[in-house]
Amino acid sequence: MQMTPEMLFQLSGPVALLGWLALVLSPLRPALAQVVAGVVVPLVLSVGYAGLILAHWAGAEGGFGSLADVAALFANPWLLLAGWLHYLAFDLLVGAWIVRRARAEGVHHALVLPCLALTFLFGPIGFFAFSVLRLTLSRPKVAQ
Amino acid sequence: MTTIPSSLPVSRFWTDAPVLAMAALAVAATALPVLVAHGLDARRVMDEPVWLKPLKFHIALVIYLATLAFYARFMPEAARMGRGWQVFSVIVAASVVLELVWIDGAAMLGVRSHFNHSGLWAVVYPVMGVVAITLTAASLWMGLAIRGNDMLDPALRLSLVLGLVLTFVLTVGAAGFLAGGTGHLVGTPVTGAKVPLMGWSREVGDLRIAHFIAAHALHALPLLGWALAVLGLGGTAFGLVAVWGAAVLYVAVVVATLAQALAGMPLI
Repeated sequence: MQMTPEMLFQLSGPVALLGWLALVLSPLRPALAQVVAGVVVPLVLSVGYAGLILAHWAGAEGGFGSLADVAALFANPWLLLAGWLHYLAFDLLVGAWIVRRARAEGVHHALVLPCLALTFLFGPIGFFAFSVLRLTLSRPKVAQ
Repeated sequence: MTTIPSSLPVSRFWTDAPVLAMAALAVAATALPVLVAHGLDARRVMDEPVWLKPLKFHIALVIYLATLAFYARFMPEAARMGRGWQVFSVIVAASVVLELVWIDGAAMLGVRSHFNHSGLWAVVYPVMGVVAITLTAASLWMGLAIRGNDMLDPALRLSLVLGLVLTFVLTVGAAGFLAGGTGHLVGTPVTGAKVPLMGWSREVGDLRIAHFIAAHALHALPLLGWALAVLGLGGTAFGLVAVWGAAVLYVAVVVATLAQALAGMPLI
Protein backbone atom coordinates (compact mmCIF):
# COMPACT_ATOMS: atom_id res chain seq x y z
CA MET A 1 0.00 0.00 0.00
CA GLN A 2 1.44 3.34 -1.06
CA MET A 3 1.19 6.12 1.53
CA THR A 4 -0.39 9.32 0.25
CA PRO A 5 -0.08 12.77 1.87
CA GLU A 6 -3.84 12.68 2.49
CA MET A 7 -3.58 9.42 4.46
CA LEU A 8 -0.81 10.78 6.65
CA PHE A 9 -2.76 13.99 7.18
CA GLN A 10 -5.73 11.96 8.41
CA LEU A 11 -3.38 10.08 10.72
CA SER A 12 -1.71 13.18 12.14
CA GLY A 13 -4.93 14.74 13.49
CA PRO A 14 -5.73 12.07 16.10
CA VAL A 15 -2.06 11.94 17.15
CA ALA A 16 -2.03 15.68 17.88
CA LEU A 17 -5.46 15.54 19.53
CA LEU A 18 -4.13 12.97 21.98
CA GLY A 19 -1.62 15.59 23.14
CA TRP A 20 -4.27 18.30 23.46
CA LEU A 21 -6.55 15.94 25.40
CA ALA A 22 -3.67 15.30 27.81
CA LEU A 23 -3.28 19.07 28.33
CA VAL A 24 -7.02 19.61 28.91
CA LEU A 25 -7.02 16.84 31.52
CA SER A 26 -3.59 17.82 32.91
CA PRO A 27 -4.80 18.73 36.45
CA LEU A 28 -5.56 15.03 36.97
CA ARG A 29 -2.05 13.79 36.08
CA PRO A 30 0.25 16.79 35.49
CA ALA A 31 3.47 14.81 35.02
CA LEU A 32 1.90 12.33 32.60
CA ALA A 33 0.30 15.17 30.61
CA GLN A 34 3.73 16.79 30.16
CA VAL A 35 5.28 13.54 29.00
CA VAL A 36 2.50 13.00 26.45
CA ALA A 37 1.99 16.57 25.21
CA GLY A 38 5.46 17.97 25.82
CA VAL A 39 7.62 15.04 24.71
CA VAL A 40 6.06 11.94 23.12
CA VAL A 41 3.52 13.42 20.68
CA PRO A 42 5.83 16.26 19.51
CA LEU A 43 8.61 13.69 18.99
CA VAL A 44 6.36 11.42 16.91
CA LEU A 45 5.37 14.43 14.78
CA SER A 46 9.02 15.54 14.55
CA VAL A 47 10.19 12.14 13.30
CA GLY A 48 7.42 12.21 10.70
CA TYR A 49 8.37 15.75 9.70
CA ALA A 50 12.06 14.87 9.42
CA GLY A 51 11.21 11.85 7.26
CA LEU A 52 9.09 14.01 4.95
CA ILE A 53 11.87 16.58 4.57
CA LEU A 54 14.49 13.88 3.88
CA ALA A 55 12.24 12.29 1.26
CA HIS A 56 10.77 15.34 -0.47
CA TRP A 57 12.82 18.47 0.15
CA ALA A 58 15.49 18.03 -2.52
CA GLY A 59 13.18 17.86 -5.53
CA ALA A 60 10.90 20.69 -4.43
CA GLU A 61 10.28 24.00 -6.14
CA GLY A 62 10.31 27.29 -4.25
CA GLY A 63 11.87 28.19 -0.91
CA PHE A 64 11.72 30.81 1.83
CA GLY A 65 13.01 33.79 -0.14
CA SER A 66 9.70 35.35 -1.16
CA LEU A 67 6.02 34.76 -0.56
CA ALA A 68 5.76 33.38 -4.10
CA ASP A 69 8.58 30.94 -3.24
CA VAL A 70 6.73 29.80 -0.11
CA ALA A 71 3.54 29.38 -2.13
CA ALA A 72 5.44 27.28 -4.68
CA LEU A 73 6.90 25.17 -1.85
CA PHE A 74 3.47 24.48 -0.38
CA ALA A 75 2.04 23.63 -3.81
CA ASN A 76 3.81 20.30 -3.23
CA PRO A 77 1.37 18.22 -1.12
CA TRP A 78 4.19 16.38 0.68
CA LEU A 79 5.75 19.64 1.86
CA LEU A 80 2.32 21.07 2.64
CA LEU A 81 1.85 18.05 4.88
CA ALA A 82 5.29 18.66 6.43
CA GLY A 83 4.28 22.26 7.10
CA TRP A 84 1.09 21.02 8.73
CA LEU A 85 3.04 18.64 11.00
CA HIS A 86 5.26 21.58 11.90
CA TYR A 87 2.17 23.49 13.07
CA LEU A 88 0.81 20.52 14.99
CA ALA A 89 4.11 19.79 16.76
CA PHE A 90 5.03 23.35 17.72
CA ASP A 91 1.52 24.46 18.69
CA LEU A 92 1.34 21.49 21.03
CA LEU A 93 4.75 22.33 22.52
CA VAL A 94 3.52 25.86 23.19
CA GLY A 95 0.36 24.38 24.75
CA ALA A 96 2.48 22.18 27.04
CA TRP A 97 4.63 25.19 27.97
CA ILE A 98 1.48 27.22 28.81
CA VAL A 99 0.28 24.45 31.15
CA ARG A 100 3.72 24.27 32.83
CA ARG A 101 3.92 28.05 33.34
CA ALA A 102 0.34 28.20 34.57
CA ARG A 103 1.00 25.51 37.19
CA ALA A 104 4.22 27.17 38.33
CA GLU A 105 2.52 30.55 38.66
CA GLY A 106 -0.69 29.23 40.21
CA VAL A 107 -2.98 30.24 37.31
CA HIS A 108 -6.31 28.43 37.57
CA HIS A 109 -6.88 25.75 34.93
CA ALA A 110 -10.27 27.26 34.03
CA LEU A 111 -8.38 30.34 32.78
CA VAL A 112 -5.83 28.19 30.96
CA LEU A 113 -8.41 26.23 28.97
CA PRO A 114 -9.46 29.16 26.68
CA CYS A 115 -5.77 29.88 26.03
CA LEU A 116 -5.26 26.23 25.07
CA ALA A 117 -8.28 26.35 22.75
CA LEU A 118 -6.88 29.45 21.04
CA THR A 119 -3.41 27.90 20.75
CA PHE A 120 -4.94 24.76 19.27
CA LEU A 121 -6.89 26.73 16.65
CA PHE A 122 -4.75 29.83 16.03
CA GLY A 123 -1.34 29.11 17.62
CA PRO A 124 0.10 32.59 18.18
CA ILE A 125 -3.24 34.03 19.34
CA GLY A 126 -3.28 31.49 22.17
CA PHE A 127 0.25 32.47 23.14
CA PHE A 128 -0.75 36.14 23.04
CA ALA A 129 -3.86 35.46 25.14
CA PHE A 130 -1.85 33.58 27.77
CA SER A 131 0.73 36.37 27.85
CA VAL A 132 -2.04 38.94 28.43
CA LEU A 133 -3.44 36.70 31.17
CA ARG A 134 -0.04 36.45 32.91
CA LEU A 135 0.49 40.18 32.63
CA THR A 136 -2.95 40.89 34.07
CA LEU A 137 -2.56 38.45 36.95
CA SER A 138 0.92 39.71 37.81
CA ARG A 139 -0.15 43.38 38.32
CA PRO A 140 -1.68 43.05 41.80
CA LYS A 141 1.39 41.10 42.99
CA VAL A 142 3.72 43.78 41.66
CA ALA A 143 1.61 46.53 43.27
CA GLN A 144 1.91 44.95 46.74
CA MET B 1 43.56 -13.95 37.77
CA THR B 2 41.09 -14.45 34.97
CA THR B 3 37.73 -12.79 34.52
CA ILE B 4 34.72 -13.92 32.54
CA PRO B 5 32.80 -11.01 30.98
CA SER B 6 29.35 -12.23 31.96
CA SER B 7 30.10 -11.34 35.59
CA LEU B 8 30.39 -7.64 34.72
CA PRO B 9 27.43 -5.31 35.06
CA VAL B 10 25.73 -4.20 31.84
CA SER B 11 25.64 -0.56 32.95
CA ARG B 12 29.36 -0.27 32.22
CA PHE B 13 28.29 0.06 28.59
CA TRP B 14 27.54 3.75 29.11
CA THR B 15 30.65 4.62 31.11
CA ASP B 16 33.63 2.69 29.68
CA ALA B 17 33.59 4.50 26.32
CA PRO B 18 30.82 7.07 26.83
CA VAL B 19 31.45 8.91 23.56
CA LEU B 20 31.10 5.73 21.49
CA ALA B 21 28.04 4.55 23.45
CA MET B 22 26.33 7.91 23.03
CA ALA B 23 27.22 7.94 19.33
CA ALA B 24 25.62 4.49 18.97
CA LEU B 25 22.43 5.80 20.56
CA ALA B 26 22.41 8.92 18.38
CA VAL B 27 22.92 6.93 15.17
CA ALA B 28 20.07 4.59 16.21
CA ALA B 29 17.72 7.48 17.02
CA THR B 30 18.44 9.27 13.75
CA ALA B 31 17.61 6.06 11.90
CA LEU B 32 13.95 6.74 12.74
CA PRO B 33 13.43 9.67 10.31
CA VAL B 34 15.44 7.71 7.73
CA LEU B 35 13.03 4.80 8.21
CA VAL B 36 10.07 7.18 7.71
CA ALA B 37 11.71 8.59 4.57
CA HIS B 38 12.26 5.02 3.34
CA GLY B 39 8.52 4.44 3.63
CA LEU B 40 7.58 7.70 1.87
CA ASP B 41 10.16 8.08 -0.89
CA ALA B 42 9.59 6.24 -4.16
CA ARG B 43 12.87 7.45 -5.73
CA ARG B 44 15.45 4.85 -6.71
CA VAL B 45 19.23 5.06 -6.95
CA MET B 46 21.15 2.28 -8.70
CA ASP B 47 17.86 0.36 -9.00
CA GLU B 48 17.31 0.28 -5.23
CA PRO B 49 15.03 2.36 -2.97
CA VAL B 50 16.98 5.52 -2.27
CA TRP B 51 16.92 5.21 1.55
CA LEU B 52 17.87 1.52 1.73
CA LYS B 53 21.61 2.18 1.76
CA PRO B 54 21.43 4.94 4.44
CA LEU B 55 19.33 2.61 6.56
CA LYS B 56 21.93 -0.16 6.22
CA PHE B 57 24.70 2.27 7.19
CA HIS B 58 22.81 3.45 10.28
CA ILE B 59 22.25 -0.15 11.38
CA ALA B 60 25.85 -1.19 10.66
CA LEU B 61 27.33 1.78 12.50
CA VAL B 62 25.07 1.29 15.54
CA ILE B 63 26.30 -2.30 15.76
CA TYR B 64 29.94 -1.23 15.30
CA LEU B 65 29.83 1.58 17.87
CA ALA B 66 27.85 -0.45 20.40
CA THR B 67 30.30 -3.33 20.06
CA LEU B 68 33.28 -1.03 20.69
CA ALA B 69 31.49 0.61 23.63
CA PHE B 70 30.90 -2.86 25.09
CA TYR B 71 34.47 -4.09 24.45
CA ALA B 72 35.95 -0.98 26.05
CA ARG B 73 35.68 -2.78 29.42
CA PHE B 74 38.36 -5.20 28.22
CA MET B 75 40.90 -2.41 27.71
CA PRO B 76 43.38 -1.90 30.55
CA GLU B 77 42.20 0.92 32.81
CA ALA B 78 45.18 3.10 31.87
CA ALA B 79 44.50 2.74 28.13
CA ARG B 80 40.80 3.44 28.56
CA MET B 81 41.41 6.54 30.66
CA GLY B 82 44.35 7.72 28.54
CA ARG B 83 44.15 11.09 26.84
CA GLY B 84 45.01 9.61 23.43
CA TRP B 85 42.11 7.17 23.39
CA GLN B 86 39.66 9.75 24.74
CA VAL B 87 40.56 12.24 22.03
CA PHE B 88 40.52 9.52 19.38
CA SER B 89 37.02 8.40 20.48
CA VAL B 90 35.74 11.91 19.76
CA ILE B 91 37.43 11.86 16.34
CA VAL B 92 35.83 8.47 15.61
CA ALA B 93 32.36 9.67 16.66
CA ALA B 94 32.80 12.78 14.52
CA SER B 95 33.87 10.59 11.58
CA VAL B 96 30.71 8.51 11.96
CA VAL B 97 28.59 11.67 11.93
CA LEU B 98 30.41 12.96 8.81
CA GLU B 99 29.97 9.64 7.04
CA LEU B 100 26.23 9.59 7.76
CA VAL B 101 25.71 13.24 6.80
CA TRP B 102 27.36 12.38 3.49
CA ILE B 103 25.34 9.21 2.87
CA ASP B 104 22.00 10.60 4.13
CA GLY B 105 22.63 13.85 2.27
CA ALA B 106 23.29 12.06 -1.02
CA ALA B 107 20.07 10.05 -0.56
CA MET B 108 18.15 13.24 0.19
CA LEU B 109 19.40 14.68 -3.11
CA GLY B 110 18.73 11.39 -4.87
CA VAL B 111 22.32 10.81 -6.00
CA ARG B 112 25.00 8.19 -5.30
CA SER B 113 27.34 8.68 -2.36
CA HIS B 114 30.08 6.13 -3.10
CA PHE B 115 31.39 5.99 -6.69
CA ASN B 116 30.02 9.46 -7.41
CA HIS B 117 32.57 11.15 -9.65
CA SER B 118 30.60 14.23 -10.67
CA GLY B 119 31.29 17.78 -9.52
CA LEU B 120 31.73 18.40 -5.79
CA TRP B 121 30.84 14.77 -4.97
CA ALA B 122 34.05 13.68 -6.71
CA VAL B 123 36.01 15.87 -4.30
CA VAL B 124 34.16 14.58 -1.25
CA TYR B 125 34.40 10.88 -2.14
CA PRO B 126 38.13 10.36 -1.42
CA VAL B 127 37.83 12.47 1.75
CA MET B 128 35.11 10.09 2.91
CA GLY B 129 37.54 7.22 2.31
CA VAL B 130 39.91 8.76 4.86
CA VAL B 131 36.99 9.31 7.24
CA ALA B 132 35.92 5.66 6.87
CA ILE B 133 39.47 4.42 7.57
CA THR B 134 39.59 6.68 10.64
CA LEU B 135 36.42 5.26 12.12
CA THR B 136 37.54 1.71 11.35
CA ALA B 137 40.87 2.42 13.06
CA ALA B 138 39.01 2.53 16.39
CA SER B 139 38.95 -1.27 16.30
CA LEU B 140 42.70 -1.39 15.60
CA TRP B 141 43.45 0.95 18.52
CA MET B 142 41.20 -1.01 20.86
CA GLY B 143 42.61 -4.37 19.75
CA LEU B 144 46.19 -3.28 20.39
CA ALA B 145 45.21 -1.84 23.78
CA ILE B 146 43.46 -5.04 24.90
CA ARG B 147 46.70 -6.95 24.15
CA GLY B 148 48.11 -5.38 27.31
CA ASN B 149 45.32 -6.52 29.63
CA ASP B 150 46.71 -9.46 31.65
CA MET B 151 43.56 -9.59 33.81
CA LEU B 152 41.65 -11.23 30.95
CA ASP B 153 41.23 -14.88 30.12
CA PRO B 154 44.05 -15.63 27.60
CA ALA B 155 41.89 -17.12 24.83
CA LEU B 156 39.27 -14.39 25.19
CA ARG B 157 41.98 -11.73 25.10
CA LEU B 158 43.63 -13.24 22.02
CA SER B 159 40.28 -13.51 20.25
CA LEU B 160 39.45 -9.87 21.02
CA VAL B 161 42.85 -8.67 19.84
CA LEU B 162 42.76 -10.72 16.62
CA GLY B 163 39.11 -9.96 15.94
CA LEU B 164 39.53 -6.21 16.38
CA VAL B 165 42.81 -5.96 14.48
CA LEU B 166 41.50 -8.15 11.65
CA THR B 167 38.33 -6.06 11.41
CA PHE B 168 40.54 -3.08 10.63
CA VAL B 169 43.03 -4.81 8.33
CA LEU B 170 40.54 -6.92 6.37
CA THR B 171 37.81 -4.27 6.14
CA VAL B 172 40.18 -1.58 4.90
CA GLY B 173 41.65 -4.14 2.48
CA ALA B 174 38.27 -5.18 1.10
CA ALA B 175 37.11 -1.55 0.98
CA GLY B 176 40.24 -0.74 -1.03
CA PHE B 177 39.16 -3.21 -3.74
CA LEU B 178 35.66 -1.70 -3.62
CA ALA B 179 36.86 1.88 -3.93
CA GLY B 180 39.26 0.96 -6.74
CA GLY B 181 36.41 -0.09 -9.01
CA THR B 182 33.42 1.70 -10.46
CA GLY B 183 30.81 0.00 -8.25
CA HIS B 184 30.30 -2.89 -5.84
CA LEU B 185 29.48 -5.37 -8.60
CA VAL B 186 31.92 -7.19 -10.89
CA GLY B 187 29.94 -7.98 -14.00
CA THR B 188 26.60 -6.81 -15.34
CA PRO B 189 23.50 -8.34 -13.75
CA VAL B 190 20.61 -9.20 -16.05
CA THR B 191 17.75 -10.39 -13.84
CA GLY B 192 18.78 -8.46 -10.72
CA ALA B 193 18.44 -11.55 -8.47
CA LYS B 194 19.67 -10.80 -4.94
CA VAL B 195 20.29 -12.51 -1.62
CA PRO B 196 17.35 -11.59 0.66
CA LEU B 197 18.03 -8.90 3.27
CA MET B 198 21.71 -8.47 2.40
CA GLY B 199 21.02 -7.51 -1.21
CA TRP B 200 24.14 -9.20 -2.62
CA SER B 201 23.97 -10.14 -6.28
CA ARG B 202 23.22 -13.78 -7.10
CA GLU B 203 24.38 -13.39 -10.68
CA VAL B 204 27.72 -11.57 -10.68
CA GLY B 205 30.61 -10.82 -8.31
CA ASP B 206 29.68 -8.63 -5.31
CA LEU B 207 32.60 -7.07 -3.44
CA ARG B 208 30.39 -6.16 -0.47
CA ILE B 209 30.35 -9.78 0.69
CA ALA B 210 34.04 -9.81 1.66
CA HIS B 211 33.66 -6.34 3.20
CA PHE B 212 30.75 -7.55 5.33
CA ILE B 213 32.52 -10.68 6.57
CA ALA B 214 35.71 -8.69 7.22
CA ALA B 215 33.87 -6.10 9.30
CA HIS B 216 32.38 -8.81 11.54
CA ALA B 217 35.70 -10.34 12.59
CA LEU B 218 35.32 -8.39 15.84
CA HIS B 219 32.15 -10.40 16.56
CA ALA B 220 33.02 -13.86 15.25
CA LEU B 221 36.43 -14.40 16.86
CA PRO B 222 35.58 -13.02 20.35
CA LEU B 223 32.45 -15.19 20.33
CA LEU B 224 34.74 -18.23 20.01
CA GLY B 225 37.13 -16.86 22.63
CA TRP B 226 34.26 -16.24 25.02
CA ALA B 227 32.91 -19.78 24.48
CA LEU B 228 36.37 -21.23 25.18
CA ALA B 229 36.65 -19.14 28.35
CA VAL B 230 33.22 -20.24 29.58
CA LEU B 231 34.16 -23.88 28.93
CA GLY B 232 37.29 -23.38 31.04
CA LEU B 233 39.62 -23.88 28.06
CA GLY B 234 40.75 -20.26 27.93
CA GLY B 235 44.08 -20.82 29.66
CA THR B 236 44.99 -23.99 27.76
CA ALA B 237 47.22 -24.40 24.72
CA PHE B 238 44.22 -25.86 22.91
CA GLY B 239 42.25 -22.65 23.53
CA LEU B 240 44.97 -20.43 22.07
CA VAL B 241 45.55 -22.72 19.08
CA ALA B 242 41.81 -22.80 18.42
CA VAL B 243 41.63 -19.00 18.35
CA TRP B 244 44.67 -18.71 16.07
CA GLY B 245 43.25 -21.42 13.80
CA ALA B 246 39.90 -19.65 13.61
CA ALA B 247 41.65 -16.37 12.77
CA VAL B 248 43.60 -17.97 9.92
CA LEU B 249 40.39 -19.58 8.64
CA TYR B 250 38.62 -16.24 8.87
CA VAL B 251 41.27 -14.49 6.80
CA ALA B 252 41.03 -17.32 4.25
CA VAL B 253 37.25 -16.91 3.98
CA VAL B 254 37.55 -13.16 3.43
CA VAL B 255 40.27 -13.63 0.81
CA ALA B 256 38.24 -16.39 -0.90
CA THR B 257 35.02 -14.34 -1.06
CA LEU B 258 37.02 -11.38 -2.33
CA ALA B 259 38.71 -13.49 -5.03
CA GLN B 260 35.35 -15.02 -5.98
CA ALA B 261 33.78 -11.57 -6.37
CA LEU B 262 36.75 -10.24 -8.33
CA ALA B 263 36.34 -13.25 -10.65
CA GLY B 264 32.77 -12.10 -11.25
CA MET B 265 31.15 -15.03 -9.45
CA PRO B 266 28.26 -14.74 -6.97
CA LEU B 267 28.50 -16.30 -3.48
CA ILE B 268 25.36 -18.40 -3.95
